[in-house]
Amino acid sequence: MRLRKRIVAWLAGAAAAFVATATQAEPVKISFLYPSPVADVGWAKQLDLGREAIEEKFGDAVESIVVENIPEGPDAARIMNQMVTDGAKFVMLGSFGYMNDGLRLARQHPDIAFIHASGFKQTDNFGTFTARNYEGFYLGGLAAGMVTESDTIGIVAAFAIPEVVAAVNAITLAVHKVDPDAKIKIVWLNSWFDPPKAQEAARALISQGADVLFSLHQDTPSVVNVAEAEGVYVVNTSSDMSAYGPNSVLASVINDWNDYFIESFQAALDGDFKGADFRGGLASGAVKVAAWNDDLTEEQLGTIKQAEADLASGKTHVFAGPLKDQDGNVRAEAGTTLPDQEIFGMNWLVEGVSGSLPN
Amino acid sequence: MQTITFVLAGTMLAATPLLIAALGELIAEKSGILNLSVEGMMALGAAIGFIVVMETGSYWLAFLAGGLVSTLLAALFGAVVLLALGNQVATGLAVGILGVGLAALIGKPYESKTVPPMPRMPIPFLSDIPVIGPGLFNHVVLVYLAPLAALGLWWLFRYSKLGLIIRAVGESPEASHAIGHNVMLVRLLAVLAGGFLAGVAGAFISVASTTLWSDGMIAGRGWIVVALVVFGTWRVGRVMIGAYLFGIASIAELLVQSTGIGVPSQLLTSIPYVATIVAIALLSMDGRRIRLNAPVSLGRVYREAQ
Amino acid sequence: MTRLPWIVDTRVHRTRYTALLAPCTAIAVTIVGALILMSIMGVPPLRALYYLYAAPLSGRYNIGEVLLKMSPLLLIAQGLAIGFRAKVWNIGAEGQLILGAIGGSLLPIYFNDSQSALMLPAMVLVGASFGMAWAAMAAFLRARFNANEILVTLMLNSIALQLLYYLVSGPLRDPFGFNFPQSALFPDAAMLPILVGGTRVNVSFFIALIATALAWLLVRRSMIGYKLEVGGTAPNAARYAGFSEKQAVWLSLLIGGAAAGLAGVFEVAGPLGQLQRVISPGYGFAAIIVAFLGGLNPVGILFAAFFMAVILVGGDIAQTAAGVPYALNTVLQGILLVTYIAARLFVDYRVRLRPPAPASEAQI
Repeated sequence: MRLRKRIVAWLAGAAAAFVATATQAEPVKISFLYPSPVADVGWAKQLDLGREAIEEKFGDAVESIVVENIPEGPDAARIMNQMVTDGAKFVMLGSFGYMNDGLRLARQHPDIAFIHASGFKQTDNFGTFTARNYEGFYLGGLAAGMVTESDTIGIVAAFAIPEVVAAVNAITLAVHKVDPDAKIKIVWLNSWFDPPKAQEAARALISQGADVLFSLHQDTPSVVNVAEAEGVYVVNTSSDMSAYGPNSVLASVINDWNDYFIESFQAALDGDFKGADFRGGLASGAVKVAAWNDDLTEEQLGTIKQAEADLASGKTHVFAGPLKDQDGNVRAEAGTTLPDQEIFGMNWLVEGVSGSLPN
Repeated sequence: MQTITFVLAGTMLAATPLLIAALGELIAEKSGILNLSVEGMMALGAAIGFIVVMETGSYWLAFLAGGLVSTLLAALFGAVVLLALGNQVATGLAVGILGVGLAALIGKPYESKTVPPMPRMPIPFLSDIPVIGPGLFNHVVLVYLAPLAALGLWWLFRYSKLGLIIRAVGESPEASHAIGHNVMLVRLLAVLAGGFLAGVAGAFISVASTTLWSDGMIAGRGWIVVALVVFGTWRVGRVMIGAYLFGIASIAELLVQSTGIGVPSQLLTSIPYVATIVAIALLSMDGRRIRLNAPVSLGRVYREAQ
Repeated sequence: MTRLPWIVDTRVHRTRYTALLAPCTAIAVTIVGALILMSIMGVPPLRALYYLYAAPLSGRYNIGEVLLKMSPLLLIAQGLAIGFRAKVWNIGAEGQLILGAIGGSLLPIYFNDSQSALMLPAMVLVGASFGMAWAAMAAFLRARFNANEILVTLMLNSIALQLLYYLVSGPLRDPFGFNFPQSALFPDAAMLPILVGGTRVNVSFFIALIATALAWLLVRRSMIGYKLEVGGTAPNAARYAGFSEKQAVWLSLLIGGAAAGLAGVFEVAGPLGQLQRVISPGYGFAAIIVAFLGGLNPVGILFAAFFMAVILVGGDIAQTAAGVPYALNTVLQGILLVTYIAARLFVDYRVRLRPPAPASEAQI
């Protein structure tokens, strides 16, 4: 072997070894920012499960930092900046309210990949992800229409953001498909965090005859507790809460970000991350409906599963025309479906909801 | 569940913690001490009470522990206000913030866990009355104890020597001192009693009402308690009526929404606060009435004659 | 009857030295408390100390963040302290701040493509008067109906929040924002100029300093400041002298409301750049602590606001770097104020041991 070749080989080997030790010594930092504390269940918990999925898949190659319970105000920007300063290469922003500060930071750091929950602005290194929870709630609505005996469905909702409004509409459409006479009643809490009030709202709805409740965007099992105590059914958001209401949980609409997070992080590692708008529903598995109650008959469950398969395959659509709002205006003509843009900006209620939007 | 039953039951459940804590605040204020840290004491009581049920399964122990830990916080408040002659408004805010923070810190591992609901104690015969029975007479025992406690407190202030001493100390600490009462001790005990009741009220919310703990769940109820005492012009009966009225108001908001009447919900959410302001303004309008009932030395720093 | 084993005399001569005692004690106790709490959470003391006090002051960005946080605290606390000195307890700065933010947002929302140089001054005027108007309700109810301002301002906080929710999810919502509850982004003309590149510190910091100077002049050099204090603390004496308690109430609340409203404008025209559901991370309440920690003295408040901003930013850093819960910040604020008030005993009074009492007196 000629000396030069040997030197080259040695150098190449050394370089490879150096790179290897470097990557071993310095795992890629990923940072996750949540608006609420990570509890046993809830929105932040589901995001955190996604983080754990990344850790499990990439092992020592990643090191993750979690900051929880950060309100959507001026402090969030500082925390994000801190994450970037500390060397994060992949940043997950878990609340809509982090959008503008996140975008600003993404513009300053084109080499860092950002993914942002529920937002609507994307750049090359700033992607957004949203759950098509309305698909899951449509299935929950079908089940609700099947089991209700009082023909009254009650919805406890935090704030009238488009995502929640779309869920309310999906529930209404589904319930009316099964039980056209059912009444849909709704209480807006106008509070992010007030479990006692959520429970009082749940009881108010029960007193108005509701025997199936929907708990929209409550992080705690507050409404589930009431449903269990009062003997009514409940469909909840984010996590499987059947442990809190073994008899009462009719179904849980669950967010599963694992695949999306892993794919996004892989893309960031490979250097081909592209800020896109990911809207995951039943088809992608980002929305799952689980914990179906045993009270549902085989036949009912069969109908629901069929609807699930049809929604997932794209054969049917939750917001298919003809679709009218509360005031009787046609929102989608027969034979058309509502475009995504309108679903994710929904500020009107479909025909048949009793109650109004708080604006 | 019928509407009337719900309104009654919901009112009892919403009003009970307010009433318990308001009675405590009333004792403190009658002795001349304005305690603005109720929110923090309730939060701490809620966290501790919940943890105790979680770990031991005993609800009574939970109320006791929640009450006692809040009493410790009240002791801190009392020490600063009475011994260090601190400004009561500032000290109340400070201790309140401390309580909210400690509750969040201690309760962190228990975030969003739940405990089984406390067993109810239906009152025989009464709970069988249609509509009213399940609304008023099928609750956890504290719901019945709270009005009884109010009755006891009314008797205490009206007929007992201790009540007389507390009132005297609140009216004129200097005169009370001159006739040989231990002003400091009376005030300290009043503050501790207030803290204990605030803690019990907090524990009621977490273990008997919501059956879960979460940071921020007291959500301003401690401030409502302070308002209730003014609203009730320092009279036990009126404070109690105020607590139940407030309970009804908060239930009515949700009921109106659930019947689908098209009023902006933020407006409805604001109603209890607006109502409180209006009530306070109306009640205070007649200055004499306030002066007649308000403990004269309320909020003033008292320094014992040397 | 038992007596306290010590005697408390009013301190006649207060030196600058004794005045510093209380805040220094409070800060020391808070630091010790922070170290203990953080070591319970598994953070070594030295690292904890670094996160809380050194990290916020290292690097341009972090110092900028401290100053950014300090501006609203300083501004609001100066306004509140004037009222507190007159014994007018405005604890509604949070609501007044929200109203200021709403008022300040109206112009940039309705004239979204305006580049007028008058935009910012007009926003400031509207915002400050909104904050003032919100506080004026409490002043009116107190002056006319004798209604307790503590409770009224507190209730007004809750109502202000609901008003904000209503406006951002309805009338002031961005028409092109997919109906998310937030306003359109403000035009550049409505944004406060940044002072130092690479940071978020803006002109509001200077304005807070100017407010400090004005507060100092008001307290030390003007008749109004004197009237306020007398009108609030000794209403009877004041009445003889021709000042009224009502004047003190009105003036205190209007000044406090204007300062908080101004801070609200600066939040939306500064770090936020739009009206949204969350405007303030509790500045209105933190400013109360700052006002007291500064001894209700304009210069003291300047230092108190700085210290408070440091521990708040430090708490955030500790949270990111060491996973310390957010609640630690809240606990530290509580400890800081409680110890400060307790330590004031030794500033305002002379404490000495009670001399042994004659046997006869001890029997009383």
